[in-house]
Amino acid sequence: MSLLFIFFIVVKKIGFKRINNIMNLMTKNTIEITSLTKTFNGLKAVDNLSLNINKGEIFGFLGPNGAGKTTTIKSVLGLIKPDKGFVKINSKDVFKNPKIVKKNVGYLPEKVSFYDKLSALQNLNFYAELKNISKDKCLPLIEEFGLGEYANKKTGQYSKGMRQRLGLARALLGEPEILFLDEPTSGLDPRGVKWIRNKIKQLNKRGVTIFISSHILSEIQAVSTQVGIINKGVLVAQDSVDKLGEKLKIKPKLILKISKIDDKVKKIVKKIKGVDRVELSENELIVYCDLQLRSKVIVAIENAGIDIENINTEQSSLEDVFMKYTEGG
Amino acid sequence: MDKTVFYLAKKEFMDNFRNYWIIILSIIFTFLILVISYFGSTGLGSGFRALDLTIELLKSPVILIVPIISLMLGYASIVREIEDGSMSSLLSFPVKRYEVVLGKFLGLGSVISTIILIGFLVSGVVIAINTSGSDFIYYFGFIGATILLGLGFLSVSLFFSSILKRRTTAIGAAIFLWIFFAIIWNILIIGIAFTVFMSGNNEMSIDWLPYVNLINPLMAISYFGGSGPPDLQWILVSYFSWIIMPLILTFVIFEKKDI
Repeated sequence: MSLLFIFFIVVKKIGFKRINNIMNLMTKNTIEITSLTKTFNGLKAVDNLSLNINKGEIFGFLGPNGAGKTTTIKSVLGLIKPDKGFVKINSKDVFKNPKIVKKNVGYLPEKVSFYDKLSALQNLNFYAELKNISKDKCLPLIEEFGLGEYANKKTGQYSKGMRQRLGLARALLGEPEILFLDEPTSGLDPRGVKWIRNKIKQLNKRGVTIFISSHILSEIQAVSTQVGIINKGVLVAQDSVDKLGEKLKIKPKLILKISKIDDKVKKIVKKIKGVDRVELSENELIVYCDLQLRSKVIVAIENAGIDIENINTEQSSLEDVFMKYTEGG
Repeated sequence: MDKTVFYLAKKEFMDNFRNYWIIILSIIFTFLILVISYFGSTGLGSGFRALDLTIELLKSPVILIVPIISLMLGYASIVREIEDGSMSSLLSFPVKRYEVVLGKFLGLGSVISTIILIGFLVSGVVIAINTSGSDFIYYFGFIGATILLGLGFLSVSLFFSSILKRRTTAIGAAIFLWIFFAIIWNILIIGIAFTVFMSGNNEMSIDWLPYVNLINPLMAISYFGGSGPPDLQWILVSYFSWIIMPLILTFVIFEKKDI
């Protein structure tokens, strides 16, 4: 009896969420990708990619267009057969146990499409049958996604935003533990983007593991707990959002508007000790360095006989991390 | 019992019965065989002979339209879903790939069978009113043969739909197949037979002709009810080969396909 009481107090003190996290650590990785390789027409779309994603995580999969994000997701779902490597979801191989694995998975493809001659409700009914769940859940789900009044409208008449919502509703049929969202906000207006973001956070609170791919950094930064960056089929970084920036020690940006921009200035500034990187834009010189070096940079530029019109400083964002990783490999 | 295939077939059936083109073709088909049945059964006297001749006349619209309906139903069914992305969603659900192919075959096969049955039952009533003492077993046999023909072409069109990467090439292949069997085949066969005949070589016979013709499913149905050769069993072999072999190829191709 007293043991139970102590347990109760412990739970209360640590908090439910943390207990949940500890439990998660004890269970195996929800998604395991091991040396995944896929070649299309001699080009490596995904190259020896390994990735582990824990339960309850929102994993942001970041990379420029054509980096191999969709190929990775499709391989995980068994839509594409990898040349090498394997994928496990909840310790089960996707290709060996497709039915068991897919019962627990929801997928929002990059291009959301339905059977356009059928209504939204007919579409979801069909998918509900395939997941062997009650069709009674379909209408409430459509309503939850704000499409109640269009439930009997053919999906062929749906707008992009409505499709995206219905696509998410479809992915959530049968309350899957794992969600794959491939570019979920592409083509949506700001309101739609906000709505999807909230939905993602809500779902994650319910314990859903979410794998979200995007080429837009702010997307990933806004929702993810973990980030993986992929470029040209290679996973170049994986860490928590906070740590990633720290690890790379991306320095703040010094943005200088100057009268004359050429490679000569770039060279001069680059020579200064402590300057990480120099970029030229149309009429700005962007210098990555600690802010203490500011005066040194300014003096060097002025010594070269160039006028500085304006000075700005900016903290580095994940965007810079991204650029650093994806630029020129 | 896993009902996945049934659900897939049901959806395919519902989805395609709304297809504008299929409805138009079905109406044309029913209209044609109705007209032929009416004039065949009223103009050719009565009794068994009338039914016999009517069926002979019905072979034309069957050969003309049934393959087209089948090809229309099937040519896009896989490739379109891959192109527009609905296949990736479908395969993210707990379905096996062979179930998708089988569901499509059964669902679309039900569509073509229903169209054929409606057409023939309507005209069957007309024939029954106008003729007496007809042997309707033969008529039902012909309905069965027509359905098998439809399924054969459906199977081939599914094969095209699985192996070709674009809808446009798939419809091109389907149209070519139909033209080949409906037109080019006859030109070739007549050419060969004529050459053999003109060569005056009596040792070269054209007994093989009916059997070679069985390769063409359209010829196979034209032999139906004839006094042989070829025998009915060979006609059935032709039908079932055209159904089963392309379907097996479709299973194999689709199983390995990257979606």
